[in-house]
Amino acid sequence: MPTAKEQITTTILAVILVLLFFGILFLVMLSYFNFRRRQNAEEKREMQAAFEGQLSQARLEIQHQTLSYLAQEIHDNVGQILSLAKIQLSSFKEGEAIDFPLLDDARENVARSLQDLRSLSKGLHAGQIRSFNIRQAVDEEVQRIRRTGAVHVSVTSEGDEHSIGDDKQLILFRIIQECLNNCLKHAGATNINIGFNWYSTQLRVRVRDDGQGFDAEKTLRLSSGLGLQSILNRARVTGGSGDIRSRPGEGTVVTVQIPYE
Amino acid sequence: MSSLLLALVCRRGLNYFGLGILIPILVLDNVTETLGNNYKLFTHLFQNHVIFNVYILLSTPLFFYLFASMLGGNMAERRRLRWIAVGVEILLLINFCFVQGWGEFNTFSALFISFINIILSCIVLARLTMRKDDESSLLHDPSFWINSLILLFNLVQLLILGLYKYIVTNHLGISNQNLYLAIMPAANAVYYAGLSGAFLLCQLQKNK
Repeated sequence: MPTAKEQITTTILAVILVLLFFGILFLVMLSYFNFRRRQNAEEKREMQAAFEGQLSQARLEIQHQTLSYLAQEIHDNVGQILSLAKIQLSSFKEGEAIDFPLLDDARENVARSLQDLRSLSKGLHAGQIRSFNIRQAVDEEVQRIRRTGAVHVSVTSEGDEHSIGDDKQLILFRIIQECLNNCLKHAGATNINIGFNWYSTQLRVRVRDDGQGFDAEKTLRLSSGLGLQSILNRARVTGGSGDIRSRPGEGTVVTVQIPYE
Repeated sequence: MSSLLLALVCRRGLNYFGLGILIPILVLDNVTETLGNNYKLFTHLFQNHVIFNVYILLSTPLFFYLFASMLGGNMAERRRLRWIAVGVEILLLINFCFVQGWGEFNTFSALFISFINIILSCIVLARLTMRKDDESSLLHDPSFWINSLILLFNLVQLLILGLYKYIVTNHLGISNQNLYLAIMPAANAVYYAGLSGAFLLCQLQKNK
């Protein structure tokens, strides 16, 4: 049996150990808190870097597309009209009677090509100076697809429009472009709907087509689903989320949610 | 003593972190320990309590200065801390002169100072954690280690000094050794070894 003194001594030692335990626990908690904070900051930095990367990639892609579009327009439209005008003007020989209807036609062709060049230049200039607007950009893209006559595209919008940062809009636009490209290239769709839902804290965009569909889960796992992965990655770097649903024969629905701030 | 020597060697590192006041604190510690252990050579006192009582009186403002440096607050906060230090010092003097007296070990003062040190070190630690930028680790900050050591040392001291009279009167101990003499040297050893490590860390961080 321990004596009273021994009991008191043991109690004192036990209390010291308990106090030390709580002191050390407090210090460990502080260190852990600090560690978590640093980890969160690191994650935030990585997210920011990913966002910047995606943003510059989106900018480059849009630039590339614009140049391709320009080249195509000049070659297929303006170039053709001017070639025709050149042929028409070449038929005039010195000393021969002037075919006035042909001359008028050539003048009209030159005027048309000039007009086309002006509108092309105007469109480019306006695109550079205005701040990026997702609705406007999507409308222009849809007009371009409609002109091909390959597919029927509709755009719907519900709720009051909110402002999203230019960078986020640019990335969202690239996501929509990627979806539309997939619809045109692989889906064989006849109808595409782009739905904008403006909620109080976030924008939801849904691109739905009635094409042949595919096994979304399987494709996402395979390397062939890189384009789809990039849609999801891009949605993630904006602080939002993405979802791709599709089954063979049932069309495809891509949903992207992006917070306003 | 080795801790003091190391502090002198690393004084630039200590000054860099605003911890230069630790050198006078260590000088005072060394003088007190030397006098306390060899008091019979220097004085005709039967007890060395007066030496430790004076140590409490002298070290308190130095510790307040140390905490003020580590807290790094604005002028108003420093002023408030200065007034608190003055108030604490007055209470210690009252105890020293009138309540427990200089001839008896001032357990109230020791307890009170341990308590104040625990509270202040906790505040400094919490502030260090909140204020720390996202880049640097708390474990690389010498102030964190110094405060941790002060906190742990004072937790032990709070109990041992609080019960000092009881331990001595009732001859409480481990293996025939007084409990105070069994625990405090070990606590001191850990405390000063830890401080030495923090001094080296100061120097290393400064040289980075």
